[in-house]
Amino acid sequence: MPAYDLHEVGENVWEIPATFRPDMRVPARLYADYDLLQKASADQSLEQLINTTTLPGIVEHALAMPDIHQGYGFPIGGIVATALPRGVISPGGVGYDINCGVRLLASGLTVDQIQPYLEELATSLYKNCPSGVGARGDIRLKDSEFDRVLRTGSEWGLEQGYARREDVEFTEEGGRIDGSDPTWVSARARDRGRNQIGTLGAGNHFIEVDMVAEIFHPVCSEALGLFQDQVVVQIHCGSRGLGHQVCQDFVSQYQSYVQQHKIELPDRELVFAPLDSPEGQEYFCAMACAANFAFANRQVLTHKIRRSFEQVLAGRLTDFDLKQVYDVAHNMAKLEDHTVQGCTLKLCVHRKGATRAFGPGTPGLPVAFRDIGQPVLIPGSMGTGSFVLLGTKKSMEQTFGSTCHGAGRLLSRMKAKKMIRGEQLRTRLRERGILVRSASMADLAEEAPEAYKDINRVVDVVAQAGIAKKVARLQPIAVIKG
Amino acid sequence: MRQAFREVEHTADRAFTVRGRELRDLFMHAAQAVLGLRSRTAQTLQPVKREVEVTGTDRETLLVNWLNELLFLSERFQERYERFEILDLTDEHVRARLGGTLAPTVLSVKAVTFHNLAIRREGAEWVATVVVDV
Repeated sequence: MPAYDLHEVGENVWEIPATFRPDMRVPARLYADYDLLQKASADQSLEQLINTTTLPGIVEHALAMPDIHQGYGFPIGGIVATALPRGVISPGGVGYDINCGVRLLASGLTVDQIQPYLEELATSLYKNCPSGVGARGDIRLKDSEFDRVLRTGSEWGLEQGYARREDVEFTEEGGRIDGSDPTWVSARARDRGRNQIGTLGAGNHFIEVDMVAEIFHPVCSEALGLFQDQVVVQIHCGSRGLGHQVCQDFVSQYQSYVQQHKIELPDRELVFAPLDSPEGQEYFCAMACAANFAFANRQVLTHKIRRSFEQVLAGRLTDFDLKQVYDVAHNMAKLEDHTVQGCTLKLCVHRKGATRAFGPGTPGLPVAFRDIGQPVLIPGSMGTGSFVLLGTKKSMEQTFGSTCHGAGRLLSRMKAKKMIRGEQLRTRLRERGILVRSASMADLAEEAPEAYKDINRVVDVVAQAGIAKKVARLQPIAVIKG
Repeated sequence: MRQAFREVEHTADRAFTVRGRELRDLFMHAAQAVLGLRSRTAQTLQPVKREVEVTGTDRETLLVNWLNELLFLSERFQERYERFEILDLTDEHVRARLGGTLAPTVLSVKAVTFHNLAIRREGAEWVATVVVDV
């Protein structure tokens, strides 16, 4: 392992002091067991984490979760909070897929009830929910309506009949980030996103039919509407071409900003602007638009999934209606109040491949969750299961109300495709009772379970650290790969 | 001269080392590498030609902007580009002619990034490592 001057400051909590490198403003802190720490040392993750400590206005420490792996600029699994007004905002700290996130829907069915219809359901979901990076949906938005999507997110879905009131209530921030202004979304970003609402995208995006395989906390599970062997559905996707373009536009624009101000960066993807500068405000406004687009996108997909369930199961089963449990973002910069060394500060919290995990009593949570904390949805890889957690008071104290977002990649896509054949993987998963629908076997191989870290270890680290609480484990039974 | 482009390891995304005897060759090979990342495409015989012009504040920004422009055009117009003729290239401007076919295409690439990007001379060649978000 390269020498990073790591100190263990708590159980599975490691710190690199600010003295390690002259340009560090604060220490870097990583949540990981020893095995995950070694894996993090195998690529540029820790170097990237250290690089984020150089951002102006950063408070406390730069953080990384146990699913950390190399990204560009920020590591995936990275969390950085900068203090307003002069703290910076960095588009690389949000990522190209703005508001990539996860939504969980719950039916009243058990896995035994759905089994006879699962093939048909998987095919229906695959047909109704377009996938691929440039894939187009069937909703065509006029300019005025498009602006409404960018300003209001899930609320647009409610107005158009794609959402129920509860869907909006049980979405992070009510499915709408304030401060959006479509003026700052480029024509190109609009062009890319215009026909993509209600589409899944590609890469590691998916729709998954799961069963609730294990309940860790019966009382909290019940509060979330979850029960053993229940059929649930996860959606994992983001802001599609619109979000990608917004990030591209501002990462490119900010290159000029840092050149003009003669700022030296350890990585060009770490470009930034002060949040109170015109450049900073413009990005925030555009980012909020892209985030709202992603909320609306997941809402339309929810509508399509409900329709698929109805098409396949009506007349055969009852209780197939899907109720929303929650929807979380894991690529975002949010303006939040946090207590830092006894003072309440307004912070810009960047979570890049990290999930908000607000604890009980935190303002802004739906009434139903105020006593138990915010639901946190952690997808694993297909074949290895996912987790439902809750945010805790400790996450508010230690990690700006944040926790991990997934398993974290272990193998490069190149290596995964060399080691694993997509067709064989599909057969292997079928033998384990997991149906797969994917347009490309090569893309499927890239997402093989072996390409990811052990989700159980990742979740155990955050649970043992007290920054999230385990509620339930989900096991896939059908995967529609983007 | 070594391979025009070669995929290299990157944990989450895709990365290529790209080479060229001239800078224009580097730009052309980078285009071939990145646009080769199509997950699905249906071939047609209908030929397409397009001229593009892109600017940047330095060589690296120019390369990123060039590649992102090609991705945008491919996705927007559903065109598959296989020939890249660089007509004019400076450190801040490129003009090129693209040739290919009309082909409904689903791309794997979201964007080309600046990560670890430094266009440099290695002996007789220009070299760069390009990381793309997929």
